[in-house]
Amino acid sequence: MLEWILRGLHKRRITTRYPRAPEPPPVGFHGRVDVLRPTAAAPQLADVCPTGAITVDDKGELRLDRARCILCGECVRSAPDRFAFGSSYETASRSRERLVVGHLGDEHIDAVRQTLGARAAGLRKSIHVRHIDCGSDGSEEWEIQALWNPYYDIQRLGFFLTNSPRHADLLLVTGPVTEPMRKPLERTWQVMPEPKALVAVGTDACAGGLHPPDGITAGGVDQVLAVDVYVPGSPPAPIAIMHALLLATGLLTAEEVAA
Amino acid sequence: MNGIPPIEALDELAQRLDAKVQPGPVRELRLRTEPDQFLGAVRQLHEAGARCVTMFLTAAPDQTQTAVFALRGQLVLLGATATPDTPLPADLIGSWWPTVAWAERELHERAAGPAAPPGERLLTQPDADRLDRNVSGLDVFTIPYGPVRSGVFEAIQFQIETGGEDVPRLQTRPFFKRRGIEARFTGLTPDVAVHVAERVAGIASCAYASAFSHAVERALGVTPPARARSWRALYCELERMACHLDVIAKEAETTALYVGQARFQILKERVQRLRARLTGNRFGRGVILPGGVRGDGIIGLDEVHDALDELEDELARDRRLFLGTASMTDRLIGGGYVDRALVERYGAVGPVARASGLSTDARHERPYGDYDRLGVRVVVHREGDAMARINVRFGELSESLRISRQVVDHLRRRDGDLLVGLPPHGTGAACGWAEAPQGELLVWVELADGVVGRVHIASPSLRNWALFDHAFPRDVLTDFAFIEHSFGLTPAGADR
Repeated sequence: MLEWILRGLHKRRITTRYPRAPEPPPVGFHGRVDVLRPTAAAPQLADVCPTGAITVDDKGELRLDRARCILCGECVRSAPDRFAFGSSYETASRSRERLVVGHLGDEHIDAVRQTLGARAAGLRKSIHVRHIDCGSDGSEEWEIQALWNPYYDIQRLGFFLTNSPRHADLLLVTGPVTEPMRKPLERTWQVMPEPKALVAVGTDACAGGLHPPDGITAGGVDQVLAVDVYVPGSPPAPIAIMHALLLATGLLTAEEVAA
Repeated sequence: MNGIPPIEALDELAQRLDAKVQPGPVRELRLRTEPDQFLGAVRQLHEAGARCVTMFLTAAPDQTQTAVFALRGQLVLLGATATPDTPLPADLIGSWWPTVAWAERELHERAAGPAAPPGERLLTQPDADRLDRNVSGLDVFTIPYGPVRSGVFEAIQFQIETGGEDVPRLQTRPFFKRRGIEARFTGLTPDVAVHVAERVAGIASCAYASAFSHAVERALGVTPPARARSWRALYCELERMACHLDVIAKEAETTALYVGQARFQILKERVQRLRARLTGNRFGRGVILPGGVRGDGIIGLDEVHDALDELEDELARDRRLFLGTASMTDRLIGGGYVDRALVERYGAVGPVARASGLSTDARHERPYGDYDRLGVRVVVHREGDAMARINVRFGELSESLRISRQVVDHLRRRDGDLLVGLPPHGTGAACGWAEAPQGELLVWVELADGVVGRVHIASPSLRNWALFDHAFPRDVLTDFAFIEHSFGLTPAGADR
């Protein structure tokens, strides 16, 4: 056992300092798709997207719904003058509408981001997190688990995993909500004490991704329950989920003050 | 490598089964029987020592009930017409050959559609609240564990019947996550459909993408360029390492060996980061496609080589410590024992089968892609317990590192194309396969006029879970987590 302890101590600090210091993604990381030129687009551009995330209205205005984007890159390859991969981790949003980019740009999301560091510094409470899988592909679970590994160590920010939903403040939901998981999801949310927040993790959970609302799946968590924070990505990287948790806890404290 | 498959013997097989041989790609013997002779033919194949991989219905109009077997380094596809007016055989093969049971039930429930008999419990539409009681006795009760599990795990339910300590009966209930992903392939071109394949079981994205691509390439008679095959092998071996490290970290967590857990999580995260640096995605998505790969890695090969060296060095130390920690190994040795006969009866694959003395590995049995050149050493242990399953994974980690390094050397020395075009408006159907980290994965793809039609996926997890029900011969309830992690399966691929 002593040997294990020595082995553990032997390593220098590897834990990220995020959110106090930025954590740059690796070069060429596919964190999100950016719209470079939203005007005067041909209507056929919408057809390249296998999940229908791209729309072109009758004025030729191009929009990309990140909540539906699985980051496959078909648009980037077929129209590199209009779309590009952005290597950002911070993709989560408090509203579904803000994930639709192109017509507004990312400035208002940046505003949310800037207040984030200050809020996290003031975080003194312990937040208990519960996860429920409603039909993910399994990769989102890996990325959530990774938050508690030594590289991310989200416990340093006061987040703990809990096994019982009755102790939980935050519910992380993955997957488009399959029919057999609808009831367990509703019940899990019901027994959680107030104040509470729900985070949809991954494109499948945000708006169904590949899965339309066809009776086999609900096509997104917000078809079943109200979602507080959306984290798009297929799957979102651990830092993206961490960013979302920090967003969600801002919400939690606001509600507590109101109560 | 494999011996040359004895063609004569397989021809004889067709005769003995009274089946017509139909043309198919190499290593894929397609036999067709009359519907009333289908069951007899399956029985003969069972006696000939074939391992059943899956059973499914091909698409209309020529709807065929097809059973896939692995026999002497070949696939045998046995088909019989199953149109609505020639119903499926009522005798269930699963009643005497458990390998087939789940695939067969799934097929029957799908064929019956909403007309399934009311009140009967459907495998593919599980109800979390329904409890099963099969064991009677004083104080025996049923624990429904899942689908909302403790910790961050995928949804699946285990109905554990126990008197408190012993587990006389365990029943795994998959299909809570069935999201109908096989239907999502339909109507897409192969290069777009591969994105769907990557999302069937996310933790084995590369294996699924390469098996799907393999099937498309076989159906259209295309061979990907050598350099692309090398890249695929590298991505798949990195993925195998990440999955095996994940299993070992979870075992360490279950024994409360927290430093060990942290160490293996660090190694896993390093593999994930290496993959992100190479491909732009932490799961290696978006690089493999039918016909080859999309491009060279983002970082240089020297950097990959250095990362592999560093990983191997760290892994060697952590492995020595892990295997020398008695509090860890004592929990694993003898736990979750499954003997070889049981493994064969259930047609289990992957590290689970290899830990019970069965040398089965798709990379070796039917070498695909670069693996006939790379020469995979199949890691086999005979003990059949949780420790053996972990030892197999440690062995395969070393083997994956060796293969990866060999592939990096090949890539350094070899220039060339990365992608060949598929014939436009290609039509055909074929099986493709890969050895996923969880075991042998098989994908059936039908293409018509350059567009994907029916796709069937036979995931290793589904087959291995049938065996998991029998992995508690002398174990108690508290051993559950160890045994489950030692199997290292993923519900996403099983449920689809």
